[in-house]
Amino acid sequence: MKGVVFNILEDMVTEKGGLQMWQKVLDKAGVDGGYTAVSTYSDDELFSIVGAVVEELGIPAEEVIGAFGVYMFGQLASRYPVFTDSASDLFTFLESIDSVIHLEVKKLMTETNLPSISCTREGEKLLVMDYRSPRKLCLLAEGLIYGAAEHYGCGIKIDHPICMHKGADHCDLQVSLTDE
Amino acid sequence: MSDEADLYRRAYERERVARISAEQVVEKTTRELYLKNQKLEESLKQLKDQQRVLVQNEKLAMLGTLAAGIAHEINNPMAFVHANLESLADYLEPYQKLVEMQAKALELPLEQQREAQQEIQKFIKSSDLEFFQDELPELMSDTRDGLERVREIVANLRTFARTHTQERRSVDLVAGIQSTLKLLNSQFRTDVIVHQSLQPLPLVKCSISELNQVFLNLLVNAGHAVEGRKGATVSIATRSDNERVYIEISDNGCGMSEAVKEQIFVPFFTTKPVGKGTGMGMSIAYGIVVDHGGEIEVESTEGEGSRFTISLPIEGSESPIA
Repeated sequence: MKGVVFNILEDMVTEKGGLQMWQKVLDKAGVDGGYTAVSTYSDDELFSIVGAVVEELGIPAEEVIGAFGVYMFGQLASRYPVFTDSASDLFTFLESIDSVIHLEVKKLMTETNLPSISCTREGEKLLVMDYRSPRKLCLLAEGLIYGAAEHYGCGIKIDHPICMHKGADHCDLQVSLTDE
Repeated sequence: MSDEADLYRRAYERERVARISAEQVVEKTTRELYLKNQKLEESLKQLKDQQRVLVQNEKLAMLGTLAAGIAHEINNPMAFVHANLESLADYLEPYQKLVEMQAKALELPLEQQREAQQEIQKFIKSSDLEFFQDELPELMSDTRDGLERVREIVANLRTFARTHTQERRSVDLVAGIQSTLKLLNSQFRTDVIVHQSLQPLPLVKCSISELNQVFLNLLVNAGHAVEGRKGATVSIATRSDNERVYIEISDNGCGMSEAVKEQIFVPFFTTKPVGKGTGMGMSIAYGIVVDHGGEIEVESTEGEGSRFTISLPIEGSESPIA
């Protein structure tokens, strides 16, 4: 997992609960906790930190991960505005994840385990995202999509009928534009 | 917050900002490196493609030069093969008649056979068959030799003209040199002495078609250098040590000045008049030798002659990636 994810998680936790909470989380997870955005760290390390956050906040894991997704989008968009600037709307942005954003990530790092994401539009108001990853972070993906929708100022609803957590080999995230 | 904690917080914030800034520098530099690398890879591919075209063009130019000479080489044996077959055709009828006469004579009763034999003898004399009978074995062997020579010239030409140059195999360079010399027989004027001192060489891992091109180039240049020289000699010698093989091609021709010697491997440099020679032969030869992990050295004295020494590692080197 790219270090920037760890950095953003730290930002979120310190924002909500201060340095104290972050230190508690690190101690609970049993990690040293110095992360730079340009390095890559083990997925397990992230999962133990997230587990510690869930324990510390006493909120269900799905909620924590979803909220992190929303927060993470905002942070990534401000660190790398070029990607949101070059996509004029939410669906175009989602379609650019695999072909543009992840391509740029691969240029910078040789060892990245990025999820495989492909999008298909079905009509004007529906986009279906095929998400595949051994890490099964589909809930994080959902959070990121909600964050993106907020950035582009549109209301959405995500249905998740096919899920790797239910034994499928991929997740189908059906993103529908609402009239909000 | 206590003063000390506040100090630490502010220090933490500063460090954080500095770290993020450093990360951005790293990312920017990495992206620039990636793009530069891509451009370099594209340029390299382009250069390699262009080089391939140049080498091929040079080969074609060389082939053009050889073509006239080779046509002459093939024409000579074909001329006497043709003449021999014409002779054979001329004598076919008398031979057939003779066989007929013999067959008929054998059917005759004994008392008439003597007369028939006398007729046959007369016929043999009048149609010169005795003479032709003596000539026939030589005629046939000459014809065979002539055709064999043509076959060899065509085989040599085929070997030379093969376009796939990437494959490197262990080959006998002396055999390659000898086949190249055969192709050049017609290029050298009849009064040019070609002196061969070809010691056996260990097999060398190389692309023989590329190296043949190098030898051909040097030999043709040597031939041009000795034009107009009395006692013109072009020599080719081979020797080896534990690690390398050495091929020396020398001549007693016009030689080169220091200034010319310095430029000889530069692309498009030529001392030949406009329209003669592409000026690429030596630079391509140089490139081929270097590609094989070898070296090419030149010694020359103006008015006296030149010597080119090619040294190649026996182990060979990896062929360039396509």
